[in-house]
Amino acid sequence: MNSNGRDHALIERCKSGERQALEELVGLYERPIYNAAYRILGNPDDAADVTQVVFLKAFEHLDQYDSKYKLFSWIYRIAVNESINQLKRGKRQQPFYDNEVAATDSPETALTAADLSREIQVGLMDLKEDYRTVIVLRHFSDCSYAQISEILQIPEKTVKSRLYSARQLMKETLQARGVH
Amino acid sequence: MLEERTLHLINADIDGELTADEREDLDVILESSSEARAMRAELLRLSNLLDSQPEQLPPPDLAKQILNKLAPPPRSSNFSLSGLFASFQPATAGLAFAAGLLMTVGFYELSPSGQSSSETASMVGTMVANQTGSPNLLKNDVLLKGEGFSGTVSLRSNDGVYILNFDLDSEEMTKIEVGLDRTGLSFGGFAETRSDEDKVFETVTMSGGTLRVVNQGRQQFAVFLRVNSPEQAIDAGLITIDFEHDGDRLYKGVPES
Repeated sequence: MNSNGRDHALIERCKSGERQALEELVGLYERPIYNAAYRILGNPDDAADVTQVVFLKAFEHLDQYDSKYKLFSWIYRIAVNESINQLKRGKRQQPFYDNEVAATDSPETALTAADLSREIQVGLMDLKEDYRTVIVLRHFSDCSYAQISEILQIPEKTVKSRLYSARQLMKETLQARGVH
Repeated sequence: MLEERTLHLINADIDGELTADEREDLDVILESSSEARAMRAELLRLSNLLDSQPEQLPPPDLAKQILNKLAPPPRSSNFSLSGLFASFQPATAGLAFAAGLLMTVGFYELSPSGQSSSETASMVGTMVANQTGSPNLLKNDVLLKGEGFSGTVSLRSNDGVYILNFDLDSEEMTKIEVGLDRTGLSFGGFAETRSDEDKVFETVTMSGGTLRVVNQGRQQFAVFLRVNSPEQAIDAGLITIDFEHDGDRLYKGVPES
C-alpha cells in the first residue's frame, strides 16, 4: 500500500488543481481499483465504468476526504460501494464467464490457467456480495483485516467471521466444480 | 468436527494475523489433530490458489479517459484564424464535387437535440466525396497551430452544398462550436473521414443553431451545411467559430473578411 504522507501531499496538490497530481493519483490507484471492481463485478466493461466513476466521485468530493482515514481506504470504499451499486443496477450481468467448464470437463481434466481463472470468478460470483467483497479485498487487493475493516467500516471481528465463512463456501463451490 | 476457535485460528494463520499466543495454541492443536491439519492444508491451498490469480488489467486508455473527464488546466497557445471565410462565395454549379475519391467514412445525421458519438458509432457507411478536387473558397487553408495542437480548416461548396473540412491533431481535448444563426445555412450532416485508433471522440451535438464537436487526437472530419431555403439569402460570412483547446480559448467570433 502507498504511504499516507505521499497520498496526503497528492490530495493537497489535487485540490489546488495540479493536473500532474491528478495523473499521479490515477496512476497509483487505477489498476488496483479496476482489478477489485472486476473481481466483484465479473465483467470488464462494468469494471471500467466503475473505475471511472470512482475517480470522478473521489475528485468531486476531495474536500470531504477525512485525513484520519488512509486515502486508499477511502477510494476503495467508494469502489466497493459503486461496484455493489452497479450489481444492483444489474447492468451486463455476468456475460464474461459461464458454466461450461464444469459442464464439459471432468474433475480429472487438467484445467488451463484461463479455465481456472474463470472457475474462480464463477465461485466468487456465487458468493453473497458481503462475502465476495472480503475475499476480493483480502486475496486480490492484499488488504489486512484492519484495512478491510476500515474500508468496509465494520469491526475486525466481523471481517474475520465473513472471511472464514466466505472461504468455506468458496472451497465447497470449487470442490463441487472439480477445481479445488 | 473442528471447534469454531480452531477454524478461526487456522484462518488467521493463513492470513498471517496470528498473535504469538494464538500461534502457540494453534501449534498444539495441529500437533494433536489430523482433522485440523487437513483443514489447514485445504484452506491454505485455496488461499494460494486465489493469491496466484493474475491481476486483471484495465483497458490501456482508461486512465486517459478518466483524466479527460476532469477539467484540464489552461494552456497558452496562439494562432490566428484571420482570413477564414474571407472570400467565401458559393461556387458555381457543376463543379466536380464527386470527382473521384472514394472514402469509407462514419456518417452521422444528427437529430436536433444532438446525440453522442457512442450512439452513432455503429453508423458507418460509404459515400463519395472529393476533397482535393472541389474548390477551396478560402484564400488559403487556414493553418491552426498552438502548443499540442495543429490543423487546418477549410470551407468549400458545390452546387449549394457547403462543407467545412477540419483536419486536426490535438494532444488534449478540443472543443469546436460552429454557429450558423443568421447564415441561412443549417446543419446537414457530419462525416468522419479519418481518425487514429487512439482518438477520443467525445460528443457531436447540434442544438440551437450551433454545432458542437468535442474531440481529441488525430482526425479529419467534414461538416455539411445545407441551404435552408432557395429563397433565403445566404451569408456564410456570418458563420461564427469557437475553438477551445485544453481549456484555452484559441479563437471565437466571426472570422475576419
